[in-house]
Amino acid sequence: MTAAPALELRSLNKSFMLRSGTGWRARHVAHPAVRNVNLILPRNQILGLVGESGSGKTTTGMLALRLTEPDSGQVIVDGTDITRLDHAALKPFRRKMQVVFQDSYSALDPMFTLAQIVAEPLHIHQIGTAREQTEQALHWLGRVGLHRSYGGRYPHELSGGQRQRVAIARALILRPDVLVADEPTSALDVSVKAQIINLLQDLQAEMGLSILFISHDLSVVRSLTDTVAVMFNGRIVEQAPTEAIFTDPRHPYTRSLLDAIPVLNPRDRRLRQFASREELEAATPRLRHADLHVPVTPSAMAQLVTVAPDHLVEALVA
Amino acid sequence: MTGFILRRLASITVTFFIVSVIIFVMMHSIEGGPFDAGDMPMPPAVRDRIMAQYGLDQPMYVQYFKYMWGVLQLDFGVPFQSPGETVLELIGRAWVPSLVLGGLGVLIGTPLGILLGMAAALRRNTWVDYLASAVATLGLTIPVFVTSMILILVFAVWLDWSYASGWSEPQKWVLPIVAYATIPMATYARYTRSAMLDTLNKPFVTVLRAKGLSERKIIFQHVLRNSAIPMVTVFLPMFIGTATGSIFVEAMFRVPGLGAYFVSSIRTRDYPLEMALMLMLTVMFCLAYLISDILYAWLNPRIRFGGRRK
Amino acid sequence: MRLVEIDNLVVSFPQADGVVQAVRGMSLSVDAGESLGIVGESGSGKSVTCMAILRLLREPPARITADKMQLAGIDVLRADKNKLADLRGRVAAMVFQDPMTAFDPVFTIGQQIAETILAHHDLSKSAARAEAEAMLKRVEIKNPAAILDSYPHQLSGGMLQRAMIAMALSCRPQILFADEPTTALDVTIQAQILQLIKGLQAELGMGLIMVTHDLGVIAETVDRVVVMYGGRVMEQAPVADIFDAPLHPYTKALLGAMPGQTGGRQRLIEIPGASPNPAAPPAGCPFHPRCAEADARCATEAPAFLPVGPARDAACWRLQ
Repeated sequence: MTAAPALELRSLNKSFMLRSGTGWRARHVAHPAVRNVNLILPRNQILGLVGESGSGKTTTGMLALRLTEPDSGQVIVDGTDITRLDHAALKPFRRKMQVVFQDSYSALDPMFTLAQIVAEPLHIHQIGTAREQTEQALHWLGRVGLHRSYGGRYPHELSGGQRQRVAIARALILRPDVLVADEPTSALDVSVKAQIINLLQDLQAEMGLSILFISHDLSVVRSLTDTVAVMFNGRIVEQAPTEAIFTDPRHPYTRSLLDAIPVLNPRDRRLRQFASREELEAATPRLRHADLHVPVTPSAMAQLVTVAPDHLVEALVA
Repeated sequence: MTGFILRRLASITVTFFIVSVIIFVMMHSIEGGPFDAGDMPMPPAVRDRIMAQYGLDQPMYVQYFKYMWGVLQLDFGVPFQSPGETVLELIGRAWVPSLVLGGLGVLIGTPLGILLGMAAALRRNTWVDYLASAVATLGLTIPVFVTSMILILVFAVWLDWSYASGWSEPQKWVLPIVAYATIPMATYARYTRSAMLDTLNKPFVTVLRAKGLSERKIIFQHVLRNSAIPMVTVFLPMFIGTATGSIFVEAMFRVPGLGAYFVSSIRTRDYPLEMALMLMLTVMFCLAYLISDILYAWLNPRIRFGGRRK
Repeated sequence: MRLVEIDNLVVSFPQADGVVQAVRGMSLSVDAGESLGIVGESGSGKSVTCMAILRLLREPPARITADKMQLAGIDVLRADKNKLADLRGRVAAMVFQDPMTAFDPVFTIGQQIAETILAHHDLSKSAARAEAEAMLKRVEIKNPAAILDSYPHQLSGGMLQRAMIAMALSCRPQILFADEPTTALDVTIQAQILQLIKGLQAELGMGLIMVTHDLGVIAETVDRVVVMYGGRVMEQAPVADIFDAPLHPYTKALLGAMPGQTGGRQRLIEIPGASPNPAAPPAGCPFHPRCAEADARCATEAPAFLPVGPARDAACWRLQ
């Protein structure tokens, strides 16, 4: 491996204080949202981070962008540890990492025109004159499939898919190295999903972008990503090249997730069995040394082990 | 919750003392004293002796501590303008008419206002709504002494249905109670209307209809209860504000209530009475807000039973 | 007698700047024990159809007309308030999309299920409560007694959706409408809920109308499919035919645009453009601006809904 990965997360931990118990005598309990997460996003690749609600995938994305602070661990962007940088030192790195969220409606300020919205990052980082900024913004609107004339319109005049395009244009106008996309297609219709997925693929190839694609929709992830990491209860339980996840899932949670995907063949309906969260927690695979591709020291705690080239599974090794 | 209450009680105590200092200082900063001019000019020697008798010649902080020491023993001193009784006795005497008239005004005006607001919300954008909203707006914008004047003119003079003044018999109470009722009625009409419209737009109301509940049941069992929670919390402070007497209503209807004393005690530099009134109001409002907060938490299941389960 | 019979339903909302034509001539029918899926994207009119059938839209501003709109033989359009209240919950019930906002926050789940039962049956309070508990058990809730006394904010989305299903079925309705019942849920919970709905439908012999934008849900759950676009029905067919041999260009495009059907990173087949503006739908076929096979006639004349095979109809000039 030559160049440093675009983004690396090492041993990230994050807990939130939640109220627990009845209102009168509420206590605050620490809820671990992200536990010991290690993730590498290589250059020029799309990594899918998959999980259900409560898995910690969105929190991981926020930690990567330092939109929330980790309790421990490191966030490394292009070889530099940015975990403890202050606001001023962090600013140049903010140019390298951008984000697109699920709800395009609340992501765009309704008082601004599309041109102003897309140009704003240039404004914040003081790049170019006002005229140049507007020109760049219009150019990017075109690149994401909206005509330049849309520059004078307002967000409420657009459809969901169009707004998401604007959000993508705004995210990419600074030519970042890393794009964190948190469920960007979940709120969109099927036909529009396809448009946005294709758009992301094209832009990624053109710009050599690395994308951390957070989603609960496995079908979208299958068509878009190179690698997939599956999160469950704040931990990564499996990570592998995309097709390996779909054709050879090793962790019971991954299997249950894949099993739940609706099958597009009405003649092939079957009754499913479902495992509860507790059952899945208890079902950590037990492996012997011989099963491993890369040996590890045995431990009483579950750890991520390599069972095939680039294929990691959380397991107990005897 | 007990922690919450204790903390609030502690902060109320602190507020109490801070207010007492502020009022005391402000009171004494106004030029002139209680025995300066007025109707009976007195020779300076006599005046100085009276001042010494009341301890008014001493430094301010001494006066303050002496007064507050008395307050902690529930001794609020003697009103200068009426030395024959204690401040407590005066307040006790004068408060009765205000409490009766103001209190009844609130107790009558509130349900009327709620009904008005409900009608407006349920018949939104029809003449019922416009009429109810107009009445509510008028109730809030027309000053209460103007309302009192109109009531006296129309009902006591022109129609001769009731009495223009006095407070000796219950028949005389009608007009002042109506005057007092206008503010709570108007306030609750507006509050109820917007709270109900808010609730009616919520998704669960559509679900209630889809279940086949009658519209009446939906309104009275579900919508009203949801709207009521914020409205309940406004009641106590409003009650206190009204039941301590309005100087205007009491002046117009010649009711010997507490309202007049709020102003006269400042005018006549009646320090003990003034302090007592201010402190009383402070404590009552603080307690009212505390009770409202507790009530709100108790009525709202999301606060009463917090937490999330699977 | 068919359980649900709708003929030429039209729903419009006059607004300040024009009339929003949410549904422009929709017809469907469902028999007892049958399940129908209405699939479409946002703006297709699928949810409005459901709400209109139970008269749950505010009228005015909504304006609902139809040649025929019957539930279990009862004319819904001419029914008065009391008849409608009797129908809803007892004859036809509905499960909604967002379970978190579907319950009244100041009452317990048990109270809300019991009041549904009490609205339609003459039972004692304790009997209604017992029935509510039995229903919660039937939707596979493990500790029904505790859930009865819980408030909505104390439960998760999946739990609440089960409770909503229990509430809808508490009076044993003949028809169940499900408006995107799993859209707000995780994929594993979605699978459980769909399986639950299907199982209960078979058990109770109900008619089921499932509204969704997700063709996967359709494939797993229903017998027949109605595809809506721009307020109109584009295609109607048995579910196997829709997936094996879709005929309408929109249906074909929709199936082609679905991600994850084959392995590997790939470019998906897009449908260019966006859904039509309901306030200003295009003339002719609503899909023609985005249709690869559209011709001149498609742009001017709205296609008639005609048979294109056994038990299949479609509205497309190119299929005639």
